Amino acid sequence: MDSALIWEMVIKSLVLILALLTGFAYLTYYERRGLARIQSRVGPNRAGPAGLLQPIADAVKLIFKEEFTPGQAYKVIFILAPIITVIPAILITATVPWGGTVTIGGREVMLGIADINIGVLYIMSVASIAVYGVVLAGWASNNKYAMMGGLRSTAQMISYELALGLSFVGVILLANSMRMTEIVEAQRGLWFAFLQPVGAVVFFFATLAELNRGPFDMPEAEQELSAGYNVEYSGMKFALFFMAEYTKMVSISAIIATLFWGGYRGPFIDTMPGLGPLYMFIKIFFILFMMIWVRASWPRIRYDRLMDLGWKILLPLSLSLVFINATGILLNQMWLIPLLSIGAGFLAIQAINLSLRRKENAR
Amino acid sequence: MTESDFATRLNDRFPEGVTADEREGYQGYIIAADKLIEFATALRDEFEFDYLSSVTGVDYPDEGKLEAVYHAYKTIGGAELVFKVQTDRENPEIPSLIDIYPGADFQEREAWDLLGIKFTGHPDLRRILLWEGFEGHPLRKDWQEAYYEADKKPFKSRWPKAEYTRAEAKNPYGANVKYPDKFDPEKWVPEGEDALYGSLAKYETTDKDGLKTDHLTVNLGPQHPSTHGVFRIAATLDGEKIMNLNPVMGYLHRNHEKIGERNTYLQNMPFTDRLDYLSSLSNNFGYAIAVEKLIGIEVPERAEYIRVIMAELTRVQNHLFAIGMFLNDIGAFFTPSLYAIEERELVLDVFEMVTGSRMMCNYLRFGGLARDLPDGSLQKIRDLVFDRLPRKTDEMDRFLSENEILRSRTVGQGYLSTEDAIKYSAAGPVLRASGVPYDIRRADPYSIYDRFKFDVAVRYNGDIYDRYYIRLDEIRESIKILQQAVEQIPEGEIQTGKPRYQMKVPKGESYGRVEGPKGELGFYLVSDGTGNPYRYHVRAPSFINLTAFGPMCKGLKVADVVAVLGSIDIVLGETDR
Amino acid sequence: MTVFIILALVAIITALGMLISRNAVYSALFLVLNFATVAVFYLLLGAPFIAITQVTVYAGAIMVLFLFVIMLLGTDELEDTDNLTWQRPLAIGLAVVLVVEGIYLMLSQNTLGFITTPSEDLGSPQAIGDMLFSKYLLPFEATSILLLVAMVGAIVLTVKNKKGEQS
Repeated sequence: MDSALIWEMVIKSLVLILALLTGFAYLTYYERRGLARIQSRVGPNRAGPAGLLQPIADAVKLIFKEEFTPGQAYKVIFILAPIITVIPAILITATVPWGGTVTIGGREVMLGIADINIGVLYIMSVASIAVYGVVLAGWASNNKYAMMGGLRSTAQMISYELALGLSFVGVILLANSMRMTEIVEAQRGLWFAFLQPVGAVVFFFATLAELNRGPFDMPEAEQELSAGYNVEYSGMKFALFFMAEYTKMVSISAIIATLFWGGYRGPFIDTMPGLGPLYMFIKIFFILFMMIWVRASWPRIRYDRLMDLGWKILLPLSLSLVFINATGILLNQMWLIPLLSIGAGFLAIQAINLSLRRKENAR
Repeated sequence: MTESDFATRLNDRFPEGVTADEREGYQGYIIAADKLIEFATALRDEFEFDYLSSVTGVDYPDEGKLEAVYHAYKTIGGAELVFKVQTDRENPEIPSLIDIYPGADFQEREAWDLLGIKFTGHPDLRRILLWEGFEGHPLRKDWQEAYYEADKKPFKSRWPKAEYTRAEAKNPYGANVKYPDKFDPEKWVPEGEDALYGSLAKYETTDKDGLKTDHLTVNLGPQHPSTHGVFRIAATLDGEKIMNLNPVMGYLHRNHEKIGERNTYLQNMPFTDRLDYLSSLSNNFGYAIAVEKLIGIEVPERAEYIRVIMAELTRVQNHLFAIGMFLNDIGAFFTPSLYAIEERELVLDVFEMVTGSRMMCNYLRFGGLARDLPDGSLQKIRDLVFDRLPRKTDEMDRFLSENEILRSRTVGQGYLSTEDAIKYSAAGPVLRASGVPYDIRRADPYSIYDRFKFDVAVRYNGDIYDRYYIRLDEIRESIKILQQAVEQIPEGEIQTGKPRYQMKVPKGESYGRVEGPKGELGFYLVSDGTGNPYRYHVRAPSFINLTAFGPMCKGLKVADVVAVLGSIDIVLGETDR
Repeated sequence: MTVFIILALVAIITALGMLISRNAVYSALFLVLNFATVAVFYLLLGAPFIAITQVTVYAGAIMVLFLFVIMLLGTDELEDTDNLTWQRPLAIGLAVVLVVEGIYLMLSQNTLGFITTPSEDLGSPQAIGDMLFSKYLLPFEATSILLLVAMVGAIVLTVKNKKGEQS
């Protein structure tokens, strides 16, 4: 490795981390404004023009807040937990390509940190260790609410990881590669969201559960557990949890965009590869809006129903989607895939309705 | 069956121990303490008075007596039956009615707490509103609060010159609270907690394979986002399943009734606003009816119409708020509640225009109203009830009622059977959602409700969904009443006689009740002929509906407790009084 | 080489920490750290696929379940049960034998110098997939059947429990 390459890596990583952190800050603003618009309110509009400085005001407030550690908490882990939560949230974007190769100052630079041949698996593994922060925070707080939040999130994340992983498999089959750039290039003709629409929806739901976002925000569940795993946290430690959640939202949106919505691809991308980050930004923007929209409009699913949905509906559905993809590829009849998968999706919806109706008839 | 028929039948059944109450201005019967259980059983099983609405007590120190007062109703409608049990003031013991009317549970605890009547046979007779180390029983006439000045308002020291001294100046900090003997507040460990947890289920169960399961005791509250105030639920959980649950309240207790007994009659009018602060006009209505019954004063036609309009608008806005907050409780992030609140604001605009205040309206007076409808307000109400509110109610129905998550969270959950609803003295939407078409506006009409065409909203499944949906039904029925009322409202006086600060209230007792948005809101008044009520008791629906809360929640998940609580719709200002 | 030594130290320390720690949760966490270090070893050896799988399966799934169970049972603090009097010296003795044996083997065989960098696509997902579905198809299928049986067993256990509750 020559030193220039190392410098390139360092600079790219720094830029990405800074972008993620700014993105997190402005995502909070975006969410608050978006929610407010949906709820016929105004939202934050005092700090700076149209409230644009609100994230900074929030940050200043949180930094100066008192840090409170409960007397009975397990100190070391209590302090480590927020940090453990943030790191995977940032790490997970390492394999996401933000554009093709551009020439900067005579040097060919790939827009993206690492383009490894197991990019998708890397995402899986980082996502799977992200649960530790939440679990440890819940346990270390030595509080019943926090504990229940931690337990819930463990169970939830393990359950939804399966659907998540199987959706990954579907994409891998379609792209015939685990390398993220190749997945993007495989969507040159048709985005996977159109080739495999149900897979995209399942993936979206599974990521919502992984992110602990409404309607799957069990571990936090303000109304039941008052704040769940982070109930004992205050000040900057709480801000770190917040940061992890929102950074993860950005990261996961980037992953969704890459896997299903053509990644950095868009019009004129082949002639102007520099447009890649812009397209990514637009796609992330829309996916984030979907998440905010979902949160604003749906009540929370009850915990046991959430598990039912994960194990009894999403898991078989995503498993069948893998089969459908494989069949389509084997027979070389790509048109079969969307058709069959939509059929499977309908079956799943019927199953949900049936179970609901059975419960209603039982009353 | 006429009144006298009933009296003869009762006399035949109970030749001894049941005597008519013949004190001046009093009604009902006085039961001997040892006959009470028999009498109540007969009342429930033979005389069809299956609904015990209110249990309270009055202290008569001059006669050395404590009196427990019961109000019972038939759920098929009709007037109330009052019966009383008198007991010795020094050693007051009355058999508990909890086995016959389980709805007496919290009310008997309240009477024990505030008056010191010992209900023998009550399984869990702990203080309910006050804390366990409290000295004395504050509703007794000889109990004096900290910073006590005089028995009755207006206090001589302040009136008419409006002079006052700060209470702290007279009484330094710490010297104004009485504690029981040998009590050190610094070292006090609340033994009530043990009693509370002891009243819950066992901590451990053993299943068939001999595996021991440890149960978790969780306190939801007092500080908790979805208890709608400072309210606490002590629950034992098996995993996330509720094994047993006990509500703990009183954190907002201010001894409303004692303050009410110091106040003059009119001073209580704004004070009732603070009970259920979401529906102050209904509270005014109930209190005004109780006092008007005592005075025997008529209310002018126009005033009655305005009262009905205001009360129904109150119901509409309360139910809007209840639905919105209920949706919030099951985890919809504020969107439904803010849309509901948007409509509620429009109703509050009307309140502000008419009464001058959005929440603490203080609008009704004995024999009329504080002021007439201002110009343009009727038009505003008309716009609301003929256009906006029906449209928005349908819109909410369309958006919310068929939502799959809402249905899966609520349908079949938190079941309260018809029998249980009556047994636990549930009132209002909670009772009607369990299939009892009991609405005081129909069952025992007051004011001018007999003139309007409307249906009593009733649903039969008794689950959370029905308790949610019945509120939409009730909004629609209220809008029907409102539409008729604004069409029919006549011109004329709004007050009988001159408005006065001090009323002449003859001796006697009265029980005024209205169908408040949360259920039967009753005011029990005893007058001794002076300018202040001798006894002022509020039958608070939020408080009594909570009796059924524990049974409803058994076997549900933690998340459902919040939904059940939201579906009961309590306001802590009224629960704790 | 320095990376290797540092990682080796971390791996040993975390392994010891896991053994010594009195708190079950801390033990589990040490184990997670140990798994992570081992994953990095795989990376150093040019087997990223196995490294990532190690993290996903062991750290991400199995240890999370361990933690779940520890927390659910509330047995974070181990009681000092010292009724295993004779096992301890025996275990230490056997461990010493094992270490000595390993060192002896390493020194006598002197294979350290012969470790060569494996070819580029030995650890690549394609290569592993090819191997699994051709040469090692039978063991692969046998493993999956084993896992299926375990899964069915778990389900049967819970179902039986539920019936017991109802009766």
